Amino acid sequence: MSTVLETPARAVEPAHPSRSWAPVFALARFEARELRMTIPLFGLSILYVAWIVWDTTQRQGDYPILQDVDRATPGMPLLIGLAVMLGVNRAVLRSRRCDTDRHFDVLVVEPWRRTVAHALSIVPAVLFTAVCVLVQFIWAALKPGAAGHGSPAELAVGPLTVLLFGMLGVLLARLFRSVFAAPVILVLLLFGMLFVAPSSGSNWTSWLGPVVTESGSNPLPSDLLERPAAWHALYLVGLGLTLAVLAVLVSGGRTTVVKAAIAGSVALTVVGVVGQSAGTPAGSTPARDRATNAPEKVQTCLKRGGSTYCAFPEWTGRTADWAEVVDRVQNLAGGSAGGERLTVRQRIDATYGLTSDTLISPSTTPGQVTVGTSWGGNRVPEFAAAVASVLVAGNEKAGSSVCDARMVTIMWLALGGESDPMTALRNVRLDDSVSGSAIVLSPTESMSMSAEQTRIVVELLKKPRYSVAGKVKAKWTELTSPRTTTARVAELLGVPAADKSAAKAEADGDSCAE
Amino acid sequence: MTVMTRALLTPVLRTLPWRALAGGGATALLLAGIPRMLSGAPDPWLGLISLRGAALALALGLAFLLDDPARHITSAVPVRRPLRVGLRVALALPGAALCWTAAVFLVPEEARPPVGALTLEAIATAVFALASAALIIQRSTATEPGVAVSTGLLSTAAAAFLLLPDGWALLVSPDDPRWTDTHERWAMLLTVALAVGTRACVEPLRAWRLGSFRGRAQQAAPL
Repeated sequence: MSTVLETPARAVEPAHPSRSWAPVFALARFEARELRMTIPLFGLSILYVAWIVWDTTQRQGDYPILQDVDRATPGMPLLIGLAVMLGVNRAVLRSRRCDTDRHFDVLVVEPWRRTVAHALSIVPAVLFTAVCVLVQFIWAALKPGAAGHGSPAELAVGPLTVLLFGMLGVLLARLFRSVFAAPVILVLLLFGMLFVAPSSGSNWTSWLGPVVTESGSNPLPSDLLERPAAWHALYLVGLGLTLAVLAVLVSGGRTTVVKAAIAGSVALTVVGVVGQSAGTPAGSTPARDRATNAPEKVQTCLKRGGSTYCAFPEWTGRTADWAEVVDRVQNLAGGSAGGERLTVRQRIDATYGLTSDTLISPSTTPGQVTVGTSWGGNRVPEFAAAVASVLVAGNEKAGSSVCDARMVTIMWLALGGESDPMTALRNVRLDDSVSGSAIVLSPTESMSMSAEQTRIVVELLKKPRYSVAGKVKAKWTELTSPRTTTARVAELLGVPAADKSAAKAEADGDSCAE
Repeated sequence: MTVMTRALLTPVLRTLPWRALAGGGATALLLAGIPRMLSGAPDPWLGLISLRGAALALALGLAFLLDDPARHITSAVPVRRPLRVGLRVALALPGAALCWTAAVFLVPEEARPPVGALTLEAIATAVFALASAALIIQRSTATEPGVAVSTGLLSTAAAAFLLLPDGWALLVSPDDPRWTDTHERWAMLLTVALAVGTRACVEPLRAWRLGSFRGRAQQAAPL
């Protein structure tokens, strides 16, 4: 408020045209406060903070992969940027709307300095976004299950998007003297971005958009991402500066500094575009090939209990979680399987980069279990099912083609040690059911269980663990033989037989006819 | 009343924000025309996006419909607010309908999403914009709510696109199993917007206003 009173007082000394930047900063401070108080920005900021809290406290976010977390941050800043752009656009045009333009002609602050002040008023919003992004990332990184490395360039995309949109708002206000121009151009830009550059990252034009999300179902080690994140950040900085300096230029700032600044920022943008247009490689690179086909060359192996756990360097901290599941499953197994030395190996298919969604083929090495790069939630019972199938069938390839009564043993081993086995059963089955036949997910190829097998497994899971565990250990040889029928397994484990017709149909199904 | 309406017709026609309306309409047609301009086989997803863009652009234009810089001067005319607002809406309606029809036909037939459902979305968006504008006018001293409404509309649309949880989704594609449920929600939204809009068109009886402090802030703002 005081600035409003001060400035006219300075204006009465035309003999010494004040070249001080103090009024510019004062105006920037005032405009920043006005911007903060606009309803859309205020509302969206609250929404943003709420979303961060909600998103980070979600249970499936318990084992975050930091190189994926950083890439997921710029979604909400896009919204903030949108509100900032429209807000600042309105602020620049306020004097025109209120018809006070001619009053400003008597002030020492020339129009181009006012533009600078408006551009500076965006800075607090950018800083706010940066803080939010940092909090989101650090919160995820502090979780005990966090793995991987974040990239500062990826984290910078969110705040830089806000900066870019804000500068665009200032420039549009200086180019088009109508409040209607900004929303319409924004709509055109947003939809144009959807049309021209689907944000898959394979094309160099898609990297011209502010946010390039590439997401696949399987996280990759950070050194295999091959995203030109730093070049992209440079491009965003350059573009934001270019827009700001253009706005200054349009509103009459023709000093040498401004001209130099525009040359510099355009150069930055061009360097960024050239640097990023290599984009993400669509095909394979030597590093990706090595990680896909010969992971043992890059992995670190740790011994825990009797088993060996081989993980990519960023995931070695997670071996303890895997060992816990392996121990739980192995404790329930009988015969030699109870003491078998397993090798748990992390495998990925990085050939086609992030966006590919390929299934990993099951390994044929005896006693080797595959584990993926994500963990937590459904991934835990899926891994347990894979461990159980290797214990029962010998290797993963054989385990994934089991369709006889051994499936009952596999599923009980996998889930019997869980604290909430019925939920785990629901999670591990593709259709989230606990009756009827279904596909059972695993880190590699899925397995299938029939309706009768499901019924027996559900009955077993309802019984106390120790009563079933004794029977499983005692009858281990017969339970893991491919020749044992489902009815016999039910009898061995003390589950009442199903009615005749169902049992008959099941006996036919036991032969793996499909 | 008819005499009054006829007398009002010309001045209202002249004070309509033609540039904003024309801009919105032109943007809508431009967006709807994009799938035809692109080479290659028509993509249904592109058709859906472009029609949604057209609906949003049209609603943005309509958000400025109730802008009237002379509102405080003309508030003394012996015509009640519903008629004044209704006249504006009635004058803009044929143009908007024509524009939407043109936009629908601009999208190639193979790429065109279900027209009825998309029209429902477009109408709901437009009525939402108009109702917000009417509400701002009724509850504040603002004469030109267009900017605020367009900002709010864009923010809401972007937030709805990015943030709505699965169970509440509004923007899904026709092959999604939630398509019907979503359009029930759109119809609900339209009903609510219509009710609020109608309520906002009546003359406020009490001087309960949002904008009293904002008006003061604006007076203090210029530097």
